[in-house]
Amino acid sequence: MKVLVPVKRVVDYNVKVRVKADGSGVETANVKMSMNPFDEIAVEEAVRLKEAGTATEIVVVSVGPTQAQETLRTALAMGADRAILVQTDVTTEPLAVAKVLKALVEKEAPGLVILGKQAIDDDCNQTGQMLAALLGWGQGTFASKVVAADGKVAVTREIDGGLETVELKLPAVVTADLRLNEPRYASLPNIMKAKKKPLETVTPDALGVDVTPRLKTLKVTEPAKRQAGIKVPDVATLVDKLKSEARVI
Amino acid sequence: MPILILADHDNATLKPATAHAVSAAAKLGSDIHLLVAGRNAAPVAEQAAKLAGVAKVLLADDAAYEHALAEPVAALLVSIASGYSHVLAAATSVGKNVLPRVAALLDVAMISDITAVVSADTFERPIYAGNAIATVQSSDPVKVVTVRTTAFEAAAAANSAPVESVAAVADPALSSFVSAELSKSERPELTAARIVISGGRGMQSGDNFHLLEVIADKLGAAVGASRAAVDAGFVPNDYQVGQTGKIVAPELYVAVGISGAIQHLAGMKDSKVIVAINKDEEAPIFQVADYGLVADLFKALPELQQAV
Amino acid sequence: MTAAAIPYTPPLKEIRFVLDHLAGMAEVAALPGFEDASPDMVDSILGEAAKIAENILAPLNRIGDVQGANLGADGIARTAEGWGPAWQALVEGGWNGLPFDPTRGGMGLPNLLNTAVQEMWHSANMAFALCPMLTQGAVNAVQLYGSDALKDIYLPKMISGEWTGTMNITEPQAGSDLAATRSRAVPNGDHYLVGGQKIFITYGDHDLTENIVHLVLARLPDAPPGVKGISLFVVPKFLVNPDGSLGARNQVKCVSLEHKLGIHGSPTAVLSFGDEGGATGFLVGEPNRGLEYMFTMMNHARLNVAMQGLSIAERAYQQALAYARDRVQGKPLGWTEGQSKGIVNHPDVRRLLMGMKARIEAMRGILYTAAAAVDVAHHHADEAARGRAALLVDLLTPIAKGWCTETGQQLASDGVQVHGGMGFIEETGAAQHLRDARITTIYEGTTAIQANDLINRKILRDGGATANGLLDEIAALGGELSGHADEALRVTGAELVAAVHEAKQAVAWVLATAKQDPRLPAAASVTLLELMGVVAGGWQLARAAKVAVERLAEGDGDTAFLSAKPLTARFYATHVLPKAAALRATVVNGSASVMALSEEQLFGAA
Repeated sequence: MKVLVPVKRVVDYNVKVRVKADGSGVETANVKMSMNPFDEIAVEEAVRLKEAGTATEIVVVSVGPTQAQETLRTALAMGADRAILVQTDVTTEPLAVAKVLKALVEKEAPGLVILGKQAIDDDCNQTGQMLAALLGWGQGTFASKVVAADGKVAVTREIDGGLETVELKLPAVVTADLRLNEPRYASLPNIMKAKKKPLETVTPDALGVDVTPRLKTLKVTEPAKRQAGIKVPDVATLVDKLKSEARVI
Repeated sequence: MPILILADHDNATLKPATAHAVSAAAKLGSDIHLLVAGRNAAPVAEQAAKLAGVAKVLLADDAAYEHALAEPVAALLVSIASGYSHVLAAATSVGKNVLPRVAALLDVAMISDITAVVSADTFERPIYAGNAIATVQSSDPVKVVTVRTTAFEAAAAANSAPVESVAAVADPALSSFVSAELSKSERPELTAARIVISGGRGMQSGDNFHLLEVIADKLGAAVGASRAAVDAGFVPNDYQVGQTGKIVAPELYVAVGISGAIQHLAGMKDSKVIVAINKDEEAPIFQVADYGLVADLFKALPELQQAV
Repeated sequence: MTAAAIPYTPPLKEIRFVLDHLAGMAEVAALPGFEDASPDMVDSILGEAAKIAENILAPLNRIGDVQGANLGADGIARTAEGWGPAWQALVEGGWNGLPFDPTRGGMGLPNLLNTAVQEMWHSANMAFALCPMLTQGAVNAVQLYGSDALKDIYLPKMISGEWTGTMNITEPQAGSDLAATRSRAVPNGDHYLVGGQKIFITYGDHDLTENIVHLVLARLPDAPPGVKGISLFVVPKFLVNPDGSLGARNQVKCVSLEHKLGIHGSPTAVLSFGDEGGATGFLVGEPNRGLEYMFTMMNHARLNVAMQGLSIAERAYQQALAYARDRVQGKPLGWTEGQSKGIVNHPDVRRLLMGMKARIEAMRGILYTAAAAVDVAHHHADEAARGRAALLVDLLTPIAKGWCTETGQQLASDGVQVHGGMGFIEETGAAQHLRDARITTIYEGTTAIQANDLINRKILRDGGATANGLLDEIAALGGELSGHADEALRVTGAELVAAVHEAKQAVAWVLATAKQDPRLPAAASVTLLELMGVVAGGWQLARAAKVAVERLAEGDGDTAFLSAKPLTARFYATHVLPKAAALRATVVNGSASVMALSEEQLFGAA
């Protein structure tokens, strides 16, 4: 079974992002970029499926700028076999990415697509579900365990209040949650080998997909600063403030 | 055009999250229809009908909807979405699973996890883990939106809207439910908890920590401690919050009888809301607290237990 | 995140800047054999090494400090919790083999790149990083001087890290004076029987690997006295069968582990060899040339220990900076709305932090420049280019080891100072860096040994030609910058010219005085070393500032990062370079007073 793993290049997890002064977005120039952490988990899961003999080939895909090649190389160093960069400088929305991926899935015919449940930049948590919808496939989102066998995949999902296991017909889409696995560190020999693995570049146009954004971002602002603390006279006032003002209980 | 909200429930009880989504929808200024898709879910529909602002409850009762699987529920939503300006859901694990599928099937963009409604087509939503807030506008014919529940109050239960049945649509039969393992009401892990209540040396003994535990159980909170309380032997080491203990950043952190040594602050200062209860008015913990209560904790805690 | 450990974020951007613009990564990658070290490959390797440093090694730093290494009742040294899996991660990742021969399982990448990786590992966990560092040193020795048979048996597993290596030099009576070495080796068929006691053996015993390869200095029965009668032997903890499997336990016993001021996680062993007749050892290279071979390792190790000065300072700096931002004490002078109220805005706290930042960047410049020169010295196609690079390495090694470790220690102390009282509390973690840093000016040759090397071998031996040559080069850069349009560069250039002038006077004085009374330059040697270090640091910051200003002029958009370079250089130029004059004065005027009191006066004052 071929496994397709889409990965996204995002501002590194450790970077404290700054909102641009003109409110047009956040500062991403000269900021450390990395593979989206959930996507790393997705790559790891695919590599484990291959090591277990379930997967035969792992194809990683990224939709983004030229520099996303670095992200693809990282995935290749972790154990993916080949990579496809769908090159665009447009800030793509999940729907557009899902359409690009659909076109690639039709070309590559994977038995399973595994991707991160959410990108840590736009925090959308949509792409996997959208891809499944467009393909007419089943979806196993927020996976903490994936068992593929006999044309089916059992996905244990992280849901509010616990876990749920669903069974999907293959081919299917699975989105990875934090506890699915702990991604490996690429070994030095594999980092060096990754450079020699095939990396193909295509454009959304060539795939016949329009990636123009549908949503308009009017502005990006800093979140409200923490209000100066206050003293409350009694427990009743405290509970009232927590309920009505802070809305945390 | 009216607004459609997908209700979150377990076939017996409507999840409170839905009431928050209703008040977000109320800000859009149209009629609100609440869709309850489930199996033998009439009690849920009854509860939904009570929510203020709901004009109508649609009940789709069918075995296919019993476990809120994304594929059949999305198909159902898509079949009725054309009559609506908005399709909403609370950003719960169900809403997050189903709505993107709906959006893609409708070929519209989706807006996740909104924290404010600016207008019928414009919303605020956090990006970069809440380090920035984006204001986004949609020109799609149907706006598909999930709602961050903590950003909107719950709609009151003061209504009796009519309940109408809607027919189930064909199940795409792509997935099936196998099992669920719902966690018991045991306290959550410190680092994963939405609410953390910690005690310090002011608790005076390990036994007194039960004063915190009963409140924690009511709130679904985890119980932590300062190093002073751990060193004093009140509680085990794995309770410790602080630079050399666990680093936590819950939505609500309640520090009880904790003076606020810098080592402790290092472990909890990123919490969204911090409450301090301490009898020493000068305790440094008050400098970082959003809400400070100068009080004897042995008097305040029982009151708090009653009030929450 | 749940990690309780004090975080370390590898300064990848700074490292990359120094690699590219000061050390000449591109030139190194162009050397024969280094074709794989392309810019994107360097990024990938540094990125992954950074993750290991940050996520695996850094969280174990405090655990190692608290738990230490302990000798079990079975005579085996046990490392702290989590250290075994961490070592395994390095082995599985192939990281130990980064700079070594690809035909023996290495990756064949430049020493310069290895240096950057080692910097991060030492910052993350110095007590741990000593183990790969010493293993790499041992690999170098076997690779350069061992017979093919020794190489075939030992190198693959040492390069992979399945076995680690040690340096067995010191004995109770033979510290800085190796002429006093007493350990013996007696020929016995195809091997030697080694006996004696060695102390201060870093990672002399541990539970990280199944075998340990000790490189041991010992005397043959017919050896001449003094340092010319010392040979080098491989003495494995477990003998190795012809098929590569492990055989009998050799007579190498860990007698005890030292209780130390710092680097608690690193087991420092007292090793006893040949208690029951003789440990099986194998001669490395030729008889009686052991010290010469060991010096090859030693010079490698000296640059690595110099690196520890940088690494520990970087770690201390990151911690101090984070604390200074969070800690609020009073309103900073001239505080304005919108500014952080953290103590970082108190001028003297800022002075401490700037002093740390500037010196750290200066050290990184010196060390990476030296590391690149090591690559050129070994791999350049042109013999003259190799020779020039080797001379630079030789001169920079004692300066780097002496100045970077002394500076690292000072900066670890400054890190504690930024924390105020909290810095003195162990829980804060700042104190560990100070304790860990303290060894760096001592092992692999104390600062005085470095200064002695600088004066005798690096200055007097060639009549000051190499030292003056470098100083002239630095003065030329200073002269160029002193006329620059950018004010910070101008100030930096002028101060650099003045400091070089002082250094040249001091060098001239050493050359003139050595003939009269060798005790005078010896008394001045550490001060001269500091003077050379101060100037070399200024040189690197000036180079960095110049590149940054040029890049800004070319339209490089990373203004916040680049514009900090000339300002940092100016800070150093006005706070550190002026010390050159005082140091020169001490060298020239102060040496006679060092030995002026008679020994009786020194002891008899009471």
